[in-house]
Amino acid sequence: MATLIEQSSILIIAIPLLIAFLTPLIGMASKKARNTVVIVGLAFVAFLVFALARDVILNGIHIYTLGATSSSLTIPEGTMIPVRIILEVDGVSVFMGIVVAIVALVAVVYSLSAMKEETGQNRFYTLLLLLIAGTFGMVFTGDLFNLFVFLEIASISGAALIAFKIRFADSQEGGFKYIVVSAIASLMVLFAISLLYAQYNLLNMGALAAAMQYTMLDRIALVILIAAFAMKLGGVPMHMWLSDTYSVAPASITVLLITASQASMYALMRICFILYGVTLDLAVVGWIIIAIGILSMFVGVTMAVRQTDITRLIAYNCVCEAGFMLIGLGVGLAVLGDRTALSTYGTTAISGAFFHMINHALFEGLLFLVAGAIFYRIGTRDINRMGGLGHTMKLTAVFFLLGALASSGLPPFNGFASKILIYESVYQFNPILTIIGILVSIITLAVFVKAFFSAFTGALLPKYADIKEVPKTMIAAMTIFAVIIIIFGLFPGLIVDWIVRPATDALVDQASYINAIMGAIP
Amino acid sequence: MTLIAETGYEFWSPIIWLIALAVLSVIIYFFRKRGQEKYKKGEDQAQIFLCGEEVPAAEERQVRGGNAYWGFFETLREYYDGIVRLHTGIVNDYIVWFVAVTAISAIILLIVKLIG
Repeated sequence: MATLIEQSSILIIAIPLLIAFLTPLIGMASKKARNTVVIVGLAFVAFLVFALARDVILNGIHIYTLGATSSSLTIPEGTMIPVRIILEVDGVSVFMGIVVAIVALVAVVYSLSAMKEETGQNRFYTLLLLLIAGTFGMVFTGDLFNLFVFLEIASISGAALIAFKIRFADSQEGGFKYIVVSAIASLMVLFAISLLYAQYNLLNMGALAAAMQYTMLDRIALVILIAAFAMKLGGVPMHMWLSDTYSVAPASITVLLITASQASMYALMRICFILYGVTLDLAVVGWIIIAIGILSMFVGVTMAVRQTDITRLIAYNCVCEAGFMLIGLGVGLAVLGDRTALSTYGTTAISGAFFHMINHALFEGLLFLVAGAIFYRIGTRDINRMGGLGHTMKLTAVFFLLGALASSGLPPFNGFASKILIYESVYQFNPILTIIGILVSIITLAVFVKAFFSAFTGALLPKYADIKEVPKTMIAAMTIFAVIIIIFGLFPGLIVDWIVRPATDALVDQASYINAIMGAIP
Repeated sequence: MTLIAETGYEFWSPIIWLIALAVLSVIIYFFRKRGQEKYKKGEDQAQIFLCGEEVPAAEERQVRGGNAYWGFFETLREYYDGIVRLHTGIVNDYIVWFVAVTAISAIILLIVKLIG
């Protein structure tokens, strides 16, 4: 078991990659065998993620150096800098790993039925596993260049998956937009990395953080990295691609795209808190992130309430929810240099952002799966053409209501638990932020009242009289999300203590991250 | 374990909230039970009554989602005209926004450096 945990960080990335390339071969022999391999493989990966999380929370940062005689040997003999590819897994990484593992497993279970009638399923699962591997890689790597590589893997596979139902023109358009935006973001990230590399000859984030001097070039690199990752996570005003792509991708892919966007938010946090840390202009950069957060909340929710396409409506709500996370993180960053403010409310704001991140993946994921279920049965996303579906799709209606209430931040659901952490902590930083947050939550409720009312209530429309509930595996996938939402809502303290607080502690502890790399000099 | 006491002001316990909700539900149920008991499903009293007019078909009497919140949109018409115009759907514009955010952020950091 100890060896397994020691190798777990690389296995979590390698197993989906391996299965991705095995899938077409197995699929040629048997579809059932292919599906089994994918499910079992991802279940094993999820097990490894939880085992690794336990190890990291109990024993601290996990290091894995590729190609070294010992996995913890970060700096080779005769050199003073880490030159190998290193995976550095701390509380933040395992937190993100848990999010990705849960969502990936649910996405695959949902896909079994939802994609059953589609052609090219072998390619679908290959791309899906590449997207999962890329996202895991982004959150586990301790190396900036590898961050770029995994970002590219996730982006390219994501674009192909968005356009997977190629018979639909909007799917093709969505895939095209995603690859253009992702390519620009990736190239800008690479450019920023090259600026840092040109100055410090380093790519390892821990080593770079130790050497960081915050020169003019560092400032330029920072600005580019913030803008690029903010675009990838759908921050306003760079959010427009998000509604165009999330709304047209297969539902199971959209939930994975949410985690891919969250991996970009992770990268943004890693860069601000760990790579630059207290060297940067904390208040200014914090407020830039808060400003993007406020815009995202307001524009996201006001655009959502106007939509008549149910998936676009949920997609704009994703933009809005990202705003909540950005505000929490921005406040945490703004007070990073002030120990008193950080301990009084800064860490709570960051914890709220983290907790909201996992909650967001769950309830938005559930909402997208419900929207996918509706499309699967009636073939439209237009809420003006829906009505009375609650008569025939009772479980789906309950799932939608659950996701909607959680997203609107109503007690006792998980969305409320994370939002109250954000509200009360950012109130101490600036009360207006809390007021905006509460206002946005009220409008969010209005958004989902409209969607639920239009789709599920009212008289059963004769054209939908024969509509049945979706297949069992799709119900099972939605049930998993629903159950976790309820558990997280009922026991928020458990989740905060177990995975959120360690993630927060790791994010504000730059010294430990650096020492894990630089302290292991032979 | 179910409490979050670290918000700085108070704690949030879903269990206590649910107990309060259950008590409230019992009170509401008590009042509801004292209401009309003569309702019978499937009889004429359960039919839709539209001042004697003919009741339209299900499709026609369904209020569409696109009609919801009309007053809200009318009040915020100027905002919506502006914000919708910005959502062009053209990918070139998306990149322009990225460039704009990068430039504005860089200028802000430059000014801070010059002042500081």
